[in-house]
Amino acid sequence: MLFCFIAQLTILSIRGEMRASCPLGDTGEVLIFSAWSLTMFYMAVGSVYRLSLLGVFTAPLVCFLLSLALMPGLLDASPERKTVVDGWRESHAAFSVLAYGALGLAAVAGVMFIVLNRQLKDALMSTGLFANLPPARDLSKVVGRLLLLGFALLTLGLICGLVMEKTGAANKHLYVALGQWAAYAVLLILKWWRGMPPVKLAMAAVLLFVLSLMIFPLIN
Amino acid sequence: MGLNHETAPVEVREHFAVSEDQLGSQARALTELSTIAEGVVISTCNRMEVYVAAEDRQMGLDVLRQHLSEGHDDEDMSHLYQKCGDDAKQHLFALVCGLDSMVLGETEIFGQVKHAYKQAFEAGATKGILNRLFQKSFAVGKRIRTHTRIQMGATSVGNVAVDLAEKIFGKLNGSHVMIIGAGETSRLVAKSMISRGASQLTVTNRSIERARSLAEELNGEVVPFDSWEEALVKADVIVSSTGASEPVLHASQIEAVRKKRKFRPLFLIDIAVPRDIEAQAGDIEEVYLYDIDKLQQLASLAKESRAKQVTLCEQMIAEEISQTS
Repeated sequence: MLFCFIAQLTILSIRGEMRASCPLGDTGEVLIFSAWSLTMFYMAVGSVYRLSLLGVFTAPLVCFLLSLALMPGLLDASPERKTVVDGWRESHAAFSVLAYGALGLAAVAGVMFIVLNRQLKDALMSTGLFANLPPARDLSKVVGRLLLLGFALLTLGLICGLVMEKTGAANKHLYVALGQWAAYAVLLILKWWRGMPPVKLAMAAVLLFVLSLMIFPLIN
Repeated sequence: MGLNHETAPVEVREHFAVSEDQLGSQARALTELSTIAEGVVISTCNRMEVYVAAEDRQMGLDVLRQHLSEGHDDEDMSHLYQKCGDDAKQHLFALVCGLDSMVLGETEIFGQVKHAYKQAFEAGATKGILNRLFQKSFAVGKRIRTHTRIQMGATSVGNVAVDLAEKIFGKLNGSHVMIIGAGETSRLVAKSMISRGASQLTVTNRSIERARSLAEELNGEVVPFDSWEEALVKADVIVSSTGASEPVLHASQIEAVRKKRKFRPLFLIDIAVPRDIEAQAGDIEEVYLYDIDKLQQLASLAKESRAKQVTLCEQMIAEEISQTS
């Protein structure tokens, strides 16, 4: 994962140099940036919570995003060099993709929780996966904290998005982003205010992330 | 030379037992016997064994038998086994791997042998031969634990319950354990939980005296049997083992306190027959319900899995012996 992170960082630096701005100019760059963000949060969270198995679940998602970025046409071979850079737009894009990294990792931890929860319910203790999965309560805490971190980054991204110069298409994008932000806000408020069964929180983290992944490419 | 739980009953084993602080001096005493150059004494609740390096094998055996017979009658001595050369090596290697233990694959014996060797070493009772042999046995023990699954899985109901609790809650520090019905198995499970860090304990029982006695023993608090439901809000783990013919804990009682509990995970261990906890309680999302059958099944699976590893362990030990011979 470390080598992967370094490789992602290298290609993002090259693309950033080529564009003279944040490398989020085409779909390929967005996918690489998302994979980088996911890997970065994994390395931060995985070591803190000793969730080495999180890597086993994260790696396929990172691999999928990077493979997708390699599809013909997604990564512009000679990207346009920007002469004027809108700082708010750049920050909006960067914060939003970082938020995706945290929320994506929350979804990955959510999947791990759902798997462990099923095994605990069915008394399937003898599998190697069961032995290596971290405790359910720790996983649930990780899901909650990553959701909170992702939400904070999403909020920053949204604030930058509200301030930046807008075009007609950007308005549509912003409405969807507001909807996404509101969905995460409702989830976190519910969790904080009345509590929530950990499995529901995990399912919501997965569902909202999958929805977010699906909806933005559609409107873009 | 020695005896263990398979060759001698406890009343014989206790005659030969050596206290922990005497292991070094007893090993040193062996080296003062004629022909014996080095010695280590291992004594646990299941065994007492003496390892020696002698200049003359037969004479060494005779002297050792003579030494051990002091204060013991022929009946006691008939329980002793003796092994020499590679057989003794094989026995020690199997011992540190837990293959000779009452609970197959248990890891405590590794530490006990290490402690006995350290005592002998510090008392000056070991030199080249036993130093090499014991160091090698520790390396073999580590290799076998790394490359096989001999110690995998809990083999008793109590340990299965504690392992599950740790899989749900992580460290049990600060966890609240509630005991319904002060039976022996409940006591054992609660003790295991406390030994792993559970710090709060509530006991409830129809007979308040028995509840008090268990609470005092485990440093917990007593709740009257007719008002234990209030304690449900605080509990993380509930161990139930009453003699009631109908369930004492219903799914509806848990449903009623879910919000107050903020949907925290609840681990229910039902070791009563007939069962104390309504099966529907296990359908609640954050509730993990295990009855005695499930727990015993998991313990049996772990035992079977360990037994399957024995051949592999023995092969590895044989390889190690052939390399050292």
